Parts: sequence; C-alpha cells; structure tokens
Amino acid sequence: MKVDIRELGQFNHLASLGAERAARSLSQLTGVQMDVEVTDVSLVTENVLAETFTGRSFVGVELGLEGGLDGETVLAFERERALKLQELLLQATGSSDELAQSSVTELGNIMIGGFIDGWANHLGAAINMTPPKYTEAVGPRILPDQAIKAAKQHGVFLFESRLEAMDVDLDFSIYMLPEYRQFVELLSGADGGNQIPVNRLSAFESLAKEGAGNAAGQIAMMTGLDTDVDVSRLRFVPLQGVPRQVGDDRFVGVVFELKGLPSGYLVVLFDEASAKTVASSMMPGGMDEDGIGTMTEGAIKELGNIMTSGFIDGWANVLGTSIEHTPPNFVHDMGSAIMSPVVGKLGQQQEYAFVIDSTIEIDGHQGRCDIYALPNERELARALSALPAQN
Amino acid sequence: MKRLNADSQPISRQKIGIAEYAVVTDETVLLTSGLGSCLGIVLHDPHEMVSGLIHVMLPSISQARDSTPAKFVDTGVPLLIEEMVKVGARATRLQAWIVGGSEMIQFTASDGSIGSRNIEMARQLVEEYGLQLVGSDVGGNHGRSIAFDPSTAELTIRTADDTKQTI
Repeated sequence: MKVDIRELGQFNHLASLGAERAARSLSQLTGVQMDVEVTDVSLVTENVLAETFTGRSFVGVELGLEGGLDGETVLAFERERALKLQELLLQATGSSDELAQSSVTELGNIMIGGFIDGWANHLGAAINMTPPKYTEAVGPRILPDQAIKAAKQHGVFLFESRLEAMDVDLDFSIYMLPEYRQFVELLSGADGGNQIPVNRLSAFESLAKEGAGNAAGQIAMMTGLDTDVDVSRLRFVPLQGVPRQVGDDRFVGVVFELKGLPSGYLVVLFDEASAKTVASSMMPGGMDEDGIGTMTEGAIKELGNIMTSGFIDGWANVLGTSIEHTPPNFVHDMGSAIMSPVVGKLGQQQEYAFVIDSTIEIDGHQGRCDIYALPNERELARALSALPAQN
Repeated sequence: MKRLNADSQPISRQKIGIAEYAVVTDETVLLTSGLGSCLGIVLHDPHEMVSGLIHVMLPSISQARDSTPAKFVDTGVPLLIEEMVKVGARATRLQAWIVGGSEMIQFTASDGSIGSRNIEMARQLVEEYGLQLVGSDVGGNHGRSIAFDPSTAELTIRTADDTKQTI
C-alpha cells in the first residue's frame, strides 16, 4: 500500500482548520485571543514520543473517535498553563476549583468537537466522540495507552496543532492520533501521484536520527563539548508554518542548498549565546569578541559546513543516494526571516514540506543548536520509493 | 488562509502569518513578523478606517503549484483590495505600504532572488491598481517585523538588532 502525499496534505489542512475553530471557541469562552501557531503531522515511534513528552507534566482532556475516523484526540496543557486556564475560567464563571476542573473538561470537549468538525464531511462518514476524560500525567503517559502501544509496534501518526495566546502564557497543543491501519487506508491515493510505500515510512525515523546524530558528533569533535540529540523528528507541515515554528528570536547560523537526491535546504541555527560558546570552544585559548563578529562568523561557518556534511552523510546512508551541499550562507537575524527565502524557494514546487527538525544540546543545557532540513518533497518520495522494503 | 476579523469583540492587536491576511474596520493594530524575502503589504482607507495587511511569499501564482491566493503578490493584492471594498473601503482611495523583499541568502539558482521579484511585482500592482504608495522599506539583507496602527496610519518596522523606524 502507498501513502499519497497530497492526501496527507489534505488531512493536515483539515487539522489546521479544526485547530482554528478550536482556538476561536477558546477565545470566546475565556476572552483570551488565541492563534494557531502551526499544525504538523509526523509518524512517530515510541522513542520519539518519549523524547517529545518526557520530563513535562501535563493536564489533558482525552476523547476517543469512532466511525469514519477511529483514534484518539488529546488536548494537552503543561501543568502551569492548565492552572492559568483554570484561573481564567474561574474568573469567567466565579466558580470553585472543582467546577473549574470540570469546565476544563467541558472546554476540551467543545474544542475537540470543533477540531474534528469538517473531518466527517471530508470522509463522508459520521465520527462519534466518546465522553471526555480529564487526565493528569507526566511524560508520554498523557497520550492514550493504545497510541503508545501502536507507536511501539509500527509507529503512530501524530497530528499536533500548537495554539498560542496573544498576551497570556497559555500555549498548548491539540494532538490527534488516528488508528494506524484505517488511517493508512485513508491516505492511499490513486496510483501515479506523489506516493511513498507504507513499508518505507519507517525510514523517516532513520532520516531524522542518522543526520542529527552525525551532526551532534561533529560539534563534539570540533568543540570538545558534550553534545546530545535532544529531539529529532520528521514532520509534515504546510510550508508557511515553518518560519512560525522557528520563531522570531534572533539566531546565528548557516543555510545550505542541497544537491542530489533529494535536493533541498539545510539550516543550522544557534541562539547568540550558544554561537559564542561553540565559537570560543573552537579557538585555542578561547575567543574575545564583542557581540557576533567575524570570528564567530568564521567559526560557525566552519562548524556548519562540517555538521552539514555529517548530516547529509547520514541521509545518504539511509537512502543510498549521493547528496552534496553548497558553501555556507551565514545568517544572523530573526529565525522566521531566515526561513522565509527557504520556504519561498520550496514554495515554487510544493505546498507542504517534510521538515526534519533536530535539537542538539551542547554541554548539558548550556547551549543548543537547531537543525532544520527541508528536502524537496517529490525527490524524497522518489528516493524512499527506491529503497528496498524494510519490513 | 483567510483571517477576517468580523467578531464584535474588539481586539487590540492581530497577528498575521505567512500567506494570511486580515482586514479591520477599527483601530486594531495589524502585525506580521519574520519578513525576509516575503513582503508585508498594508493597504488603508483613511476615510472609511478600513485597513488590511497581507503577508505574501512569492511574486506570482503562475510560478507555483498551489493556489492559495494569499501566498502570492499578484493574487494577494487584488484579494486584499476586494475584501476591503466589501467592508466599505474605496479602491481608488487606498494608501499602500510595502515592506520586506530582502535578499537574506545567496542562492545558486539563476532565476533572481525571490525578494527582488516580489518587490518588482508589488510595484507593478501598485501602479496597475492606482494605489497611493505612502511608504516602503524594501530590499537589503535583513529581516523585518511590522506593525500598522490604523489610528495614526503609521507603520513601524523593527529589525533583529532592535532598530525601529516608522514610515
């Protein structure tokens, strides 16, 4: 069976419309203006779930879906934000803590209802929702057991819509985890489209892991600092969501064009402090430079070059193809503005992107580096289709 | 993606993402961030207090495979004008501001930078639709964030190094 990328795009679109409806309900109920930051979908395994959720404490509302779409939806707030929400609801209703908790559940019910509204239409079949369940958990246990079990077996499709509030720290996510087999069937499109055989989807995780692992190794070698890949995921997002995901903070980094199968772009970003830390570690005797100057630029370019070679070697290993990269383009600007020409370039050929988004921690929590790899969608599908089946 | 703020509840600020636009008929400040090669285009009818902002990514819909009009300069500008006229703006009275279109990255392809092609297309449309260009801050090699305040008809531009200017 094959997964049609256009279908995946269609479902991502439904999820993002749903998230906007959910955001509107929350705005109406709390008076806080909410925005959907981005909606992405990824095929994740148990490891990725662990990386994504571990160490965070959640309050959630969980609802099962049955019928046209089987699966689970979870509205997950990090604990302190859930408390903030309860506070807002208390102010709005003037009720007790217990009532606030039940109003969080009710709110979840309304929002998830809004979220899946539109899916039934698209599928031409009714979707029933089970009653909402209030949950509290640390780490991936905030997700339903079935989803964790499925992630262990063959991976699970995880839709995530991140919502952010305009003036209050109330950011949270809506997760949707459709039942794997049914969803794969829904994704199978007409032949001849832009498709990836289902049994090659497992290569997604290797693509995310291998590249980031190699890049982290190169940082360690060049700087002598400890490095660790914190999270590395392959997400499927509408192109315009990518700059938003990176955010408006100022970064120091390098952008590369990739040539080969697949072609694409690779962006390595450090926050300013991390850029200075790694640059200084690369110089014998350290570095004494005010702000981000030519010394930091030179070091980041050199490091970026080596990281990128490592990253695409990892890909070449998984895909059995050869990929090369251009010399580094140095950037020091708002993250979102750095990504803007990259998504612009890809936007001439495609509407969605597979984004490999890896975070490398440097020297414990002292520094961090984000790598975004955006391969050409059709070429990636082609390279994956050419792979021998893995299971 | 469409973002029309038709709610009765007054909102003081509204954020617009890439390939999105908003039209307001009150003093809501319109914001967009992360303009690299993209363009932020603001249109304003001071007489009817109708303001719109669109964040476009590419010059022309004919050069891409998708059909989201708000993503392209050549379809986004007419769309914004149309939506503004719907709520009372007069097309012939519209003032315009254009910001962005920088060349942050030197790509190897020979088809010219997206930033400069976006600027060229926007200027062409300003002429075509007879818009009154009040201000522009385009090109260069840095990113920009903008905020348009309808109450003063002023556009504030911020860059990553925190320099601010109003046009």
